[in-house]
Amino acid sequence: MTAIELRGVRKEFGDVTAVSDLDLTVQEGEVYGFLGPNGAGKSTTIDMLLDLVRPTAGTVRVLGRDATGDGVAIRQRTGVLPDGFSVYNRLSGRKHVEFAVRSKEADDDPDALLERVGLLDDADRKAGGYSKGMRQRLALAMALVGDPDLLVLDEPSSGLDPAGAKEMREIVQTEADRGATVFFSSHILEQVDAVCDRVGILRNGELVAEDSVEGLREAVGGEETLEIAVGGADGGIGAAVEAVRAVEGVSRVDRDGDALVVSCADGAKTRVIAALEDAGVAVDDFHTREASLEDLFLAYTEGDAAEGDTAKGNATKADAAESDGTTPDAADADEEVAE
Amino acid sequence: MTLGAIAEKDFQDAVRSRGMIALVALFSVLVSVFAYVFSPPGEQFATEFLLSVAVGPFLVTTLVPLVGVVVGYNAVSGERESGSLKLLLSLPHSRADVVFGKVVGRGGALALAVFAGFLLPAAVLLALSQLGYIQAFNVGSYLGYTVFAAVLGVVFVAIAVGFSAAAETQRQALIGGVAIYVLFVLLWGAVTGQFLGAASGLIDPLPVSQRQISVFLQVANPTTGVELLSNAFLGNQLLSGEGVNQQISAISMLVFWTIAPPLVGLWKFDTDDL
Repeated sequence: MTAIELRGVRKEFGDVTAVSDLDLTVQEGEVYGFLGPNGAGKSTTIDMLLDLVRPTAGTVRVLGRDATGDGVAIRQRTGVLPDGFSVYNRLSGRKHVEFAVRSKEADDDPDALLERVGLLDDADRKAGGYSKGMRQRLALAMALVGDPDLLVLDEPSSGLDPAGAKEMREIVQTEADRGATVFFSSHILEQVDAVCDRVGILRNGELVAEDSVEGLREAVGGEETLEIAVGGADGGIGAAVEAVRAVEGVSRVDRDGDALVVSCADGAKTRVIAALEDAGVAVDDFHTREASLEDLFLAYTEGDAAEGDTAKGNATKADAAESDGTTPDAADADEEVAE
Repeated sequence: MTLGAIAEKDFQDAVRSRGMIALVALFSVLVSVFAYVFSPPGEQFATEFLLSVAVGPFLVTTLVPLVGVVVGYNAVSGERESGSLKLLLSLPHSRADVVFGKVVGRGGALALAVFAGFLLPAAVLLALSQLGYIQAFNVGSYLGYTVFAAVLGVVFVAIAVGFSAAAETQRQALIGGVAIYVLFVLLWGAVTGQFLGAASGLIDPLPVSQRQISVFLQVANPTTGVELLSNAFLGNQLLSGEGVNQQISAISMLVFWTIAPPLVGLWKFDTDDL
């Protein structure tokens, strides 16, 4: 059975189109990461799953039911960690969880849930005095009430410190192991890699890619990233950047202190090193790293990698432009170096 | 139906507010002041007189509706603006549960404030009367009157919650609430008097008398409706005597004002993107 099914979903707010022709399927038991930069339409999509926002066109089905007509029944079996929510300032953390238990007609022990999210010591404090991270934990505790079949988490790690984000991932993993479907959004990719079966990347209201993290890597792929430490090249580093940029197969060069970060095609590595030596720049050290999730994410959300044929066309054009070095791209690149 | 859960949560939230304590204190102080001014120690204590001449017009039919509007106007719009509505609606509540749960929860909180505020001075008055300092404090009249005061407050909470559900911002909700207060409490007599005067030419050919319309206008306004009912109660005429039809109309209109505004608000709220 499918846990979430969106067909041809479109949402307009006035003359702004937040989501356009979105098709998306999440299978039961899957952990699905919903990614995209801020403003891509992630929250609007989640709001449509929860019937906070009604689609302009298309159908939204959650747990086999129509989201618009059957919202209460859906939310009975769904745990939600909303984005941009606020708590009831005068009620304690425990009261919040008790309210969720009562609302879901569940029989969970509020203290056990508060303990699970690490909030038991502060359970009797008024939630108005909680930090952002504590509020996030509180909402998570409320979302876990009643062992939901589906967890919808909108930017779950926002406001959490790294340790908190790790605990959040562990809870997501535990819920997934229990058999729950997890659908969560994030604009930070590092949080996704460890827990997601599949990710979808949303950009300007459209799904531009959907695959496992490995699959996405391969799709962007053919590229590797070199980190090259160049010594004693204070004045020369600009020249080094220029030299490397001119090498065939290099798509991007950034300066990181005394190091260059070079994105290039497989096999261009030796030509890059040779170009540096020709330019009289000493190479202290270099190593290759896998395309980082960050690079991957940027490739989809800023670049053109995901747009199939058109993307290829653009990429070719960009390559050509860079190799003759006379285009506006060169000016952009200079700015990057200056940073 | 999760209306009960929302009502309970909202009630707990409301009674924890500082405004609640201030309200109880305000009611207590005002009732005490009126009791002292209108029934100085040593004289015959006229409970009904105190209630219908002082507490009624100066406290119940002016202040209680205002408090009802203040308690109700941000019920839904406030949560919408702050974002706690997202937390609320991520639980299995329908929007109808939210609106009517709010009416019940906040109406209950206001009723509690009215009871507490009126009963604290009542306890003092009762003690004084037991000790013989004042004579003939009528506990039954006093308690009964308090119920009418609470009912009036709940009606205005319901109207304000209706505006709050329909409004997209706090501002809109506040404007609606204030407008209804101004109309029903401050201007009703003037507006309806003008209306009757201006419309007399139109009314004459109709099979109703000026008086019937004036009675209708009296019972149509929850404030004057409650006044009519409470005065009948204090005169031992409640649901008896000549005015029984008017009283039944007034009760029906109070029920109408408690249910219709939240329904209309819900109708708008239900179609909104949040």
